[in-house]
Amino acid sequence: MAPPKGPSGKSDVKAQATKAAKALKGNAHIKKKTRKMRTSVTFHRPKTLKRARVPKYPRLSAPHRQRLDHYEVLKYPLTTESAMKKIEDNNTLVFIVDVRADKKKIKDAVKKMYDIQTKKVNTLITPKGQKKAYVRLAADYDALDVANKIGII
Amino acid sequence: MAKIKVHELRAKSKADLQTQLRDLKAELALLRVSKVTGGALNKLSKIKVVRLSIAQVLTVLSQTQKAHLRTAFKNKRLPLDLRPKKTRAIRRRLTKHQASMKTVKQKKKDTYFPKRKYALKA
Repeated sequence: MAPPKGPSGKSDVKAQATKAAKALKGNAHIKKKTRKMRTSVTFHRPKTLKRARVPKYPRLSAPHRQRLDHYEVLKYPLTTESAMKKIEDNNTLVFIVDVRADKKKIKDAVKKMYDIQTKKVNTLITPKGQKKAYVRLAADYDALDVANKIGII
Repeated sequence: MAKIKVHELRAKSKADLQTQLRDLKAELALLRVSKVTGGALNKLSKIKVVRLSIAQVLTVLSQTQKAHLRTAFKNKRLPLDLRPKKTRAIRRRLTKHQASMKTVKQKKKDTYFPKRKYALKA
């Protein structure tokens, strides 16, 4: 980009020079790169930009249907003598429950299937590998009535 | 309950199928309770029938859903469960087209020097 010759050429060069000088004046601190001030001895990973995923294609064509629904959680109620005792004395129902179910799921399942409120749920895994749930009903529900309604008298 | 026929199920809508599924599952729960409390023989034998019908309803549901998804994803990059499953090794093989590709040099050679077959006169 040689400047054009002639009287206009000289002013062109001068214009370029003044422009460069002005730029340098403004960025005086670029000449010397200062170090960042460190106030701590440890170096922590600097936080960088995290972008959200924008997949080009979904990995699963459709989300799976619910894998452990209410009907699958509760398998069947127990009708052993000790279970009967629990119904009468402690206002609790005893269920055999799917092993993958947790107490929250059991609570929801019992509420949905039999319309009862539970006070607490205790679970254990039997030596046979099944999960047993002791479902203590709330005070305003009678375990005996519910048991009659379910069919385990 | 009448015996479930699958071709009738295929005619039903998705909502219908799902309500039917719920009813069947509720019935199965009752049957399981009766199994524990020493139920009648006709109830116990019904368990197998109900389990089969639940499976049939679920099969019809998932088959129709997959069919619709395939038409929805036509001419687009397929999600992994719609791609052919075959086996892992087969999926990693060269495609037929890839395996049959030749260099231009090789193609010319084949054109100008094809494999000749000769026959000997007895």
